[in-house]
Amino acid sequence: MKLPRPREAAFTSSLRSPEVAARVGVWLAITFTVAFLTGVWSHLYQDQPGWLTIPTRPVWIYRVTQGLHYLSGTAAVPLLLVKLYAVYPKLFADVPLGRAKQLVLHLLERASILVLVAAAVFQLFTGVANSAEFYPWSFSFRSTHYALAWVAIGALVLHIAVKLPVIRSALTRPIEDGERPGKVLTRRGLVRTAFLASAVAVVSVAGGTVPWLRKVSVFETHDGSGPQDLPVTKSARAAEVTSLAVAPGWALEVVHGATTRRLTLADLAALPQHTERLPIACVEGWSANADWTGVRLRDLLDLVQAPAGAEVQVTSLQPRGPFRSSEVRANYARDPLTLVATRVNGEPLALDHGHPARLIAPNRPGVLQTKWLARIEAV
Amino acid sequence: MRAVRVALGVVGVGLALVGVYRLLGTGLADLVDIAVFLAGGVLAHDLIVGPLAVLLAVVVLRAPARVRAPVTVGLVVLGSVTLMAVPVIAELGSRPDVPSLLPRPYAALWLVFAGVVALAVVLAVVLASRRRRRA
Repeated sequence: MKLPRPREAAFTSSLRSPEVAARVGVWLAITFTVAFLTGVWSHLYQDQPGWLTIPTRPVWIYRVTQGLHYLSGTAAVPLLLVKLYAVYPKLFADVPLGRAKQLVLHLLERASILVLVAAAVFQLFTGVANSAEFYPWSFSFRSTHYALAWVAIGALVLHIAVKLPVIRSALTRPIEDGERPGKVLTRRGLVRTAFLASAVAVVSVAGGTVPWLRKVSVFETHDGSGPQDLPVTKSARAAEVTSLAVAPGWALEVVHGATTRRLTLADLAALPQHTERLPIACVEGWSANADWTGVRLRDLLDLVQAPAGAEVQVTSLQPRGPFRSSEVRANYARDPLTLVATRVNGEPLALDHGHPARLIAPNRPGVLQTKWLARIEAV
Repeated sequence: MRAVRVALGVVGVGLALVGVYRLLGTGLADLVDIAVFLAGGVLAHDLIVGPLAVLLAVVVLRAPARVRAPVTVGLVVLGSVTLMAVPVIAELGSRPDVPSLLPRPYAALWLVFAGVVALAVVLAVVLASRRRRRA
């Protein structure tokens, strides 16, 4: 038996219409734009281009932008599914063979939509998988998710350019325009269902970054539990630092030029202690506030007479990995809230939180809050 | 509007090229893997999710008229949220060294979630038929 090829005209539901596609599409475009902008913002923190000075206040900016990134991507999943439902018949549209110019335009449009759908699905899948730390691929998540973000947003803008007349006319007509009485949902009902599903998706994961939603966030990846009531992304074991971090001879090297000071935990404890409430906001989407206690980074820099404008390189005991060291700009290094913490929530740092000492600074991505410190160098 | 469309089109292509440029530094093996996932996403929708929606519509159309709309809303919510949460529900990223990642019994929580959606669908059907009887 030969199956007939599905044709665009075989889809008779008037739910699959520009009226629905445009209305859901507007919100889909908004979620993608928010995710793109907050994603670029996150990469600016991590790449620290020389022309940009990121402020250290308010302390929660990164927590909010990264939470928005995670939640806007989550919100986009049901919207994308309903959007694709509404336009699915177009996949089976006739190709205008025989008319060269129309054929070229048709194929170009199909190609641009293929790129858009491929990039959009890729971004949502890899983003959601990353939040659950599921990596069924060999490529680098960070650089690939970033590169495809530009492809997705570019293909989206191009798609809006191509479809602008259709979008405008669909949005200025009433949604019921040309709607035949259906047997299931109305168009308005379908659009509302898409919004409902999107809201449910957001609430189902938001507790990992919005703690008061925790009770209803059934699919959050972190529930606030963990050593010292704080979740962990990278463990000491995974970072291969356990033996180095518990070694009795540990001392923190603080270096500026020819001056080096080696500070044991007792030496650090003898310096003025400060306790600050600062968020740790992981790029994977979760975030939490904690009370961190330790020495101000600037006090340590003063011990080696580092100049006020010095940038600082902090290095972990970790033998490898892209985040074994991070750069602390002068405005962060001199900020009174930037600590070399040895305690959190009233207890000595757990091994997985960076024992013996870690960096904790305001408004900074979690991956740059270097754990298991070995060396601090003013450069 | 033509000028706006042309400008948008140029901006769109430019933004996409930034992404392509960023991919250029990637090694061949990784590029192949990326292509597999890009194509896989499209095929997963066009060959599985899309036809599944058609199939579900056929099934829903066999149900009595008064339950169709609530059931459809329930299926869209349950289906899309489940699809979004697969890596969490199946605890695909779980690691023994990090108990604070994916700490909950997600399969059981999914059953609760599905139950709540089903309950809401039943409630909607009952309320609608009561309203109809009164009218």
